[in-house]
Amino acid sequence: MSKDLKVLICDDSALVRKQMNKIFSSQGISNIFEAVDGEQAVIKYAEVMPDVVFMDIVMPKKTGVDALKDIMSLNPAAKVVMASSVGTQANLKDAIENGAYDFIQKPLSEDSVVKILEKINE
Amino acid sequence: MFTQFFGNYLLNKGLVSAENLAQALADQKNTRLKLGVLAINAGFMTAEQVDKVHAEQQRVDKRIGDIMVDMGFVTRDQIEELFKTQPSGHLLLGQALVDSGVMSNAQFEQALASYKAENGISDADFINIDDNNTNKLVAHFYKFKDDSNVKYLTGYLTLLLKNLVRFIGDDFTPMDADYVQDRVLSECIGQKISGAVDAMTVIEADSETAVKFASRFAKEEITEYDDYAQACLSEFLNLHNGLFAVNVSNEEGNELSLDPQAYYDTLNLSELKNAYVVPVCFSFGTVNFVISI
Repeated sequence: MSKDLKVLICDDSALVRKQMNKIFSSQGISNIFEAVDGEQAVIKYAEVMPDVVFMDIVMPKKTGVDALKDIMSLNPAAKVVMASSVGTQANLKDAIENGAYDFIQKPLSEDSVVKILEKINE
Repeated sequence: MFTQFFGNYLLNKGLVSAENLAQALADQKNTRLKLGVLAINAGFMTAEQVDKVHAEQQRVDKRIGDIMVDMGFVTRDQIEELFKTQPSGHLLLGQALVDSGVMSNAQFEQALASYKAENGISDADFINIDDNNTNKLVAHFYKFKDDSNVKYLTGYLTLLLKNLVRFIGDDFTPMDADYVQDRVLSECIGQKISGAVDAMTVIEADSETAVKFASRFAKEEITEYDDYAQACLSEFLNLHNGLFAVNVSNEEGNELSLDPQAYYDTLNLSELKNAYVVPVCFSFGTVNFVISI
């Protein structure tokens, strides 16, 4: 696992941000950035240019799918992982069609997050 | 899920008080099932026979299983079968109530038999708990004023109870759903669902209970009802609603979308359509859920 990965967590829940921070820290990753809504996610992405983004879907100001679209137009090679409890068929389809790298169904498990990080490192 | 409904049944029949039930729910984790309760549950012995065995145990220095066999109430094979019984929740609850003297063995036997009969639950159902009979139990338990949304209401509440067991703990008793039009909730978190069904959902608890609920969900010690504790309650509601949307999408092909959760200082239920307040009594306090469709 590359400890130099830059990770951006976009989730309006302080609990989820804390849980994800803990998972990344346990993998030795320290370049962790956070956004609390969809608008901030896009601004932060442009500022930090992270290697991977973990993006919630239901968020204030801008949904995760809209933020995904904006990020993909900024950088078509961006790796954006949607992490949501609302893993409905429509959301999965929407995410894939708009270029999402992967989809994690909440509740988050450390295993599922680590598997994605390993895939990115390959 | 039988445990939770059995607790409600005992409360509604006046067999236990709310305080006794909360204490027994808290105690059940440290309760060890005894052969007497297991034998009653399995239908091998009556409560009267169990009491006779306990009386005999005071007189002779023998293991309780040996006394049961010696008195001719059970066979060795039946004792072996009882030892293999998994400690299911309703038995632990019953044992905790018997141990604390709230109920006698006879009252437990009677309550269990009446509960099974009134809910149309066979002994086989009682042993083989699966999703189908959980859904049946929930549908039988909750009564709704308007039939038009029963499918969604039942589906929502069935999943809620499962998620409470999964993410918070099984030491709770669900109370009847209350159709409410004139209640004002304070300091609560709500989330709107739209699409195939339009609904408003709310979670509400007093601050002390909310802190304990948040601690369990976050799996960490939270001591104050602050923004972080609120975020934990809010995320539970969002997670549950998200999983409900996934179920509806997978089972019916219907899509639901969720608004971001919102915090309300006060929320007047008269502004909502067909609001049901569904209290869930944990050993640490009562959490109210509202579903309005």
